[in-house]
Amino acid sequence: MNPLRRRLLTSSLRSRLLVAASLVLLAFFLVTGLALDRVFRDTALRTQQDKLEGLVYALLAAARPTEIGDLTIATAEVPDPRLKQPASGLQALLYDEAGTVIWSSTVFMDMPAPAPVGVGEWRFEQLRQPAAFSLAFGLRWIDLADDPQRYTVVVLEDAAAYQGQLGAYRRALWGWLGGAAFGLMAVQLMVLHWGLSPLRRLTRELRAVEAGGQPEIGGQYPEELVPLTEGLNAMIRNERTQQTRYRHALGDLAHSLKTPLAVIQGLTEERSLAASLQQTLREQVGLMQQITGYQLRKAATAGRRVLSEPVAPRPILDKLVAALSKVYAPQPPRFELEVPATLRVRADAGDLYELFGNLLENAAKYGGGRIRLSLVREGRWVQLSVEDDGPGFPEQPEELLERGVRADTQKPGQGIGLSAVNELVKAYEGRIELGRSGLGGARVSVALQA
Amino acid sequence: MRALVIEDDPHLRAQVAQHLADEGYTVDLAADGENGLYMALEYPVDFAVVDLGLPGPGGIEIIRKARKAGRAYPILILTARDGWQSKVEGLEAGADDYLVKPFHREELLARARALVRRAGGWAQPELRCGPIVVDSSAKTVQVDDRPVELTAYEFKVLEYLILHAGEVVSKSTLAEHLYAEDEERDSNVIEVFIRRLRSKLDPGATLNPITTLRGAGYRWDLPRS
Repeated sequence: MNPLRRRLLTSSLRSRLLVAASLVLLAFFLVTGLALDRVFRDTALRTQQDKLEGLVYALLAAARPTEIGDLTIATAEVPDPRLKQPASGLQALLYDEAGTVIWSSTVFMDMPAPAPVGVGEWRFEQLRQPAAFSLAFGLRWIDLADDPQRYTVVVLEDAAAYQGQLGAYRRALWGWLGGAAFGLMAVQLMVLHWGLSPLRRLTRELRAVEAGGQPEIGGQYPEELVPLTEGLNAMIRNERTQQTRYRHALGDLAHSLKTPLAVIQGLTEERSLAASLQQTLREQVGLMQQITGYQLRKAATAGRRVLSEPVAPRPILDKLVAALSKVYAPQPPRFELEVPATLRVRADAGDLYELFGNLLENAAKYGGGRIRLSLVREGRWVQLSVEDDGPGFPEQPEELLERGVRADTQKPGQGIGLSAVNELVKAYEGRIELGRSGLGGARVSVALQA
Repeated sequence: MRALVIEDDPHLRAQVAQHLADEGYTVDLAADGENGLYMALEYPVDFAVVDLGLPGPGGIEIIRKARKAGRAYPILILTARDGWQSKVEGLEAGADDYLVKPFHREELLARARALVRRAGGWAQPELRCGPIVVDSSAKTVQVDDRPVELTAYEFKVLEYLILHAGEVVSKSTLAEHLYAEDEERDSNVIEVFIRRLRSKLDPGATLNPITTLRGAGYRWDLPRS
């Protein structure tokens, strides 16, 4: 594909329509202009010729034979007075058969002998240098002596008047046509702008949905676009509900897998069971639990999606804080939330629950009773930091990000929180950093593209 | 202490019941949401374990209805869904804590003890009232740092009274919370327990921890320290 073709195919609808319509307009006005010009010029030339023919007839009417047998024209009898004025721009000549001027009115230009014209024939010419019209008429003069002689009458008229007229006409013609073209182009631009505005609005709305500014495409659209917007909305909704349905299915799967696991777990604690068996069973159940937990969590993670619904993190955090305060009663940690209520994040609500829940629970469990969570937007990134005033992370905290490593074996069943968070951060193509907090304890910093 | 276990899986239900019974609870069992809801509303419950994935009315609905009806006993959710959304939903409905399946016996019992203690207003596992120290985890009692031997029923009565300190507890209430539905209740036995507790905890009759209110019941009157 050559570059021009590719450019034409990928250029915007607006420029396509503009280019096509402009070319059509241009061709139309050119053809119209040329046709009108042609018609006018033909008419003007016809008029000129008619005028000169009339003059030739008048001249012939004033022709008289001289004594020597030649013809002469009595100027006084010719109706056009310009023939008597020098440099009037009108001149008449009479040639004999040999091409010699035998009579001439006042001269305004030199004229080479015209090519002979057949008797009774007209020859109308437009001379270029100098600009003039010439009309020649061949005749045979039969006099009483019955000695027919051939003559040629030539009338010359300066073309200045004609050219002036033509020029004025052309200026007017192209002026009007140009004006009309300009006006039509302007109207066309406006029509295009107006006609394409629903598409522009649709693009804007889609961007807003992508950017998390609005949940779906609202607004009224022309009927041609309604199937498209409805389809888009259905797609957006479907993508969102699909995750919910998927989670429900996973939840059911988790329920049906984990209840038997819990039973087996309970069996390992039977006192009648041999100690060696107990140990092996417990290990295997622990492993199964870890794997199912990890895979189910991973599958339930929605991750970064283009059409996620914007979610306000504040209500989620408030719910989690209320829930954790209940779990850690009667001395719940002090939660300091630095999260603007207006902040919207383009992420799945379930993912946010997991992210915040795990980090807050870790801070509540390992911290010293004070937890600070801040969430700010920096352009496309959302920066989350969770800090506590506990003992902080152990050496090589990065190990905590990997599955199944426990920082504190004293508190069983846990330690997967950070690895779950790490998985979530990966799903959002984000970054996670473990460090030390200004409060004295651990600090988890997460940056998400959301 | 009387525990209600609502769990549809028969094996898990039996296990949880066994764990709690070993811990000294009198256990009532429900296999589905309908029975669970009835028991949650009508039984003298001190502590409930509710599975969230139940046939019939779900765990969340049972918790919500129990709370709405004014039942304030601690509720522990058992859930296979370890997502925070379902935990938050359960806690919002009125549960007090959650336990994700599969779990260890010790985890279940630790949560149960903590919740029951918390409901009685105690934060520590040791309940201290003057010279009397009751360890609710180890099930031991000390008076003036000397261990006191109590039978399982005596301990149950003592624990119940301390966790309801300041309240008047009738003999029938005590019997309800100590015995299962089908066990025969004899209020004279309660009187025997109280008498024995008094003599074991307060042989010199100087502390008078338990006050008898004629026709009404008993009240633990020793302030916590």
